[in-house]
Amino acid sequence: MRLRTGFILVPLAFLLVFFYVPLVSIIKTGLWENGFTLKYISAVLQNDYHRHVILFTVEQAIASTLLTLAFGLPGAYIFAKYDFLGKRLTRAILTVPFVMPGIMVALGYILLFGRDGIITGLFGHDLGILYSWKGILLAHAFYNFPIVIRMVSSLWQRVNPHYEEAAMALGARGWRLFWRVTLPMISPAIFASAMLTFVFCFLSFSIPLIIGGYQYATIEVDIFTSIMTLLDFKTGSALAIIQITLSVVFMYLYLRSLDAYARREEQKVLRKPVPFTRRDWLSLKGLAIALYSFLVFVFIVSPLLAVLYDSLRFNGHWSLEWYRRVFSAEYNPMFGATTLDAIRNSLAFGFTTVVLSLLVALPIAYALHRWNFTGKRLFDVMVMLPLASSPITLGLGYVRVFHATPLYYTFWIVAVAHTIIAYPFVLRAVSTSLKKIRPNLFEAALSLGAREWKAFLKVELPLALGGVIVGAIFAFAISIAELGATYMLAKPEYTTMTVAIYKFLGARQFGSASALSVLLMVVSMAGFLAIEGVGEEVW
Amino acid sequence: MRVELRNVLKEWGDFRLEIDGLIVEDGEFLTLLGPSGCGKTTTLRIIAGFERPDRGEILFDGRPVNDLPPYERNIGIVFQDYALFPHMTVFKNVAFGLEMKGLPRGEIEKKVRWALEIVGLTGLENRYPEQLSGGQQQRVALARALVVEPKVLLLDEPLSNLDAKIRERLRGEIKRIQRTLGITMIYVTHDQEEAMAISDRIAVMNFGKVEQVGEPLELYYSPRTEFVARFLGLSNILKLEAENGRACLGELCFDVGRDGTVRVFFRPESVYITPGNTAEMIDYELLPGRIRIKLEIDGKSLIAERFLNELPFSVEEMPERVGVVVRDFSIL
Repeated sequence: MRLRTGFILVPLAFLLVFFYVPLVSIIKTGLWENGFTLKYISAVLQNDYHRHVILFTVEQAIASTLLTLAFGLPGAYIFAKYDFLGKRLTRAILTVPFVMPGIMVALGYILLFGRDGIITGLFGHDLGILYSWKGILLAHAFYNFPIVIRMVSSLWQRVNPHYEEAAMALGARGWRLFWRVTLPMISPAIFASAMLTFVFCFLSFSIPLIIGGYQYATIEVDIFTSIMTLLDFKTGSALAIIQITLSVVFMYLYLRSLDAYARREEQKVLRKPVPFTRRDWLSLKGLAIALYSFLVFVFIVSPLLAVLYDSLRFNGHWSLEWYRRVFSAEYNPMFGATTLDAIRNSLAFGFTTVVLSLLVALPIAYALHRWNFTGKRLFDVMVMLPLASSPITLGLGYVRVFHATPLYYTFWIVAVAHTIIAYPFVLRAVSTSLKKIRPNLFEAALSLGAREWKAFLKVELPLALGGVIVGAIFAFAISIAELGATYMLAKPEYTTMTVAIYKFLGARQFGSASALSVLLMVVSMAGFLAIEGVGEEVW
Repeated sequence: MRVELRNVLKEWGDFRLEIDGLIVEDGEFLTLLGPSGCGKTTTLRIIAGFERPDRGEILFDGRPVNDLPPYERNIGIVFQDYALFPHMTVFKNVAFGLEMKGLPRGEIEKKVRWALEIVGLTGLENRYPEQLSGGQQQRVALARALVVEPKVLLLDEPLSNLDAKIRERLRGEIKRIQRTLGITMIYVTHDQEEAMAISDRIAVMNFGKVEQVGEPLELYYSPRTEFVARFLGLSNILKLEAENGRACLGELCFDVGRDGTVRVFFRPESVYITPGNTAEMIDYELLPGRIRIKLEIDGKSLIAERFLNELPFSVEEMPERVGVVVRDFSIL
């Protein structure tokens, strides 16, 4: 009984101090001045620029989602239906965007589409993609279309072929067969992946910050500039309240759609993908698949290659000069530390976030999985709500609440911020794998004399280990890629790689930014390979 | 060990499980038999300690165990889907309970070997569950439950996921193991044939209640309720008016020893066919070596089942009317 209380109350206390108190402080800043007031909210809504930003945030999220679906759905079809040479490789490549820091994609797009960019050079003129909504949409699609492919193809494989065969026997074919029979069965996956993409784009920060500019800012960027440049906490808080209100709604819709998806996803895969023969490749279908795979490859690999290429070019010839500079122990006045410090800090934050996130998420996951208690639904909502907050909002809250405490400007405040951002993903990963374990196994262990905690350690945890590891790697990747909150909360000696890259970009030192990005990519790749490796061994 | 359920009640929404005075004697093989949803698995789970009854007592050798968690009840359980730990080898699965007891390595190995030998799986120690057939997985589950020498072994439809042939072989082995070890076993099934073949006694359950407990043949030939009669096989139940201790349907009479409305029960194999004029032959069905005949007397149907070579005529020359003699009947 004591264990149960501890498992519920300790994580809850942590969330109260490091999420709910800052949240309340923001709400108070935005809605309170000698009493309740809507002054700042309405000021924001009446201001042309802020109104434009809010509208643009929603519009670009919708447009990005549509573009993502348009690009992802054909891939989902191909992955569900066919087996072909290079499928494994393509699948592996599709995981890359997921662990790539946004700032690096932004850098890649600058190097591709900028005034001296590689693609600009190929076409001979500026395509007008950078510093416009087009670049934002493209980068968002880059990030999210692999999610669409993964989720939709996973469900598509689970559509029992007998349904389609029965419909065909009844005279349905082609487009009508798809529309009336197949589509309703895969629609939970389409909807869930679209909602996830939408939420992601709605809260997007690095990409619009760097390749959107002032004109194409999202709410997240707007809060950031309000606080960091204009020091206007009232406007920042009002924007944050508007953002979190909207994102709670969107997140709720996403979680609901995810439930519907997860139910369908439990079904067995009945459909065997059709292997492709050499003759198939020469058919129109084969050609289309080859073309699509090629586009996927170009789409994903080109920003990476652009960054890699740039990091190896110094004054017009091949050189490791940028890497030499990154690894030199020279103090960099731009961010107030050496680049080596930044690498060390990123790793330290990454690993600390993994440990803290697990410490928060594991007891919560276990409590939700094992016990029924009064207030469980409320507890469930309270532990998932941080998912709807954004790093900038969190940073703003921390500045408001902790600026006068000894915690401020320490290593730990950044690590805790990363933990609040990352642990919901760990929680989801662990909960999902716990849910997949048959309750019988736990009971069998009890009947053989194992106490509850021993049954958990010996039977359930090993079986959920895949989820725990995937969650841990998520936490690591999120921490490594985090820019906004870190920028707001870290003092110079705790500068991370992403902050350093951002500062290099601001100073237009693309070579250093590229070299550091490549190192960031190597670190992220290590994590990504681990995800793939574990993912295939998971029960 | 002797297991007793006294005045036990468990409610789940509409469902109500009520069991009073169910006793499983030491070393006995008792089967809980009933249709799905009758509460037999819940009863088993209450005995195991996975469910708490709303009231009543579970007694092990006369000692109440209501407050004992499953891991302190010294039970073994075999699940329908075996619940083998997928991340452990056969050896590790069987050794699990011994490790929980903290036995030394050498002893664990000895006991695991013993248990695997009993179930005939020697040599498969290092396989994982997914590399085994359904029947083999079942044996591992059995070994895993037996190795800790439980005082009572609970089996929840352990054979229902297996092919008919393997099912028959395994039920024989379970029975053999129970006899050899002299262990108390409580077995849940919905298959009356399985229950008849394996049990010392059967408790027939319906709608959350025990309808009747008894030895297989007692239940089969002298059921106390219509449900038990019908659940255990084909039945003839005739509702008749008795006068002077006799109840008659046409020329077919029963000495029931009382007057008024009676329900006379008998099995199809208690109906003997003779040349005669008592019953009209409606239809028949051929079974391997046997024949099942549908008869009618004064508008009431009867079923008879006989070996083909017992019939006083050949199947090709089936007469329209036959004589009928009933031996062994009981009153419901």
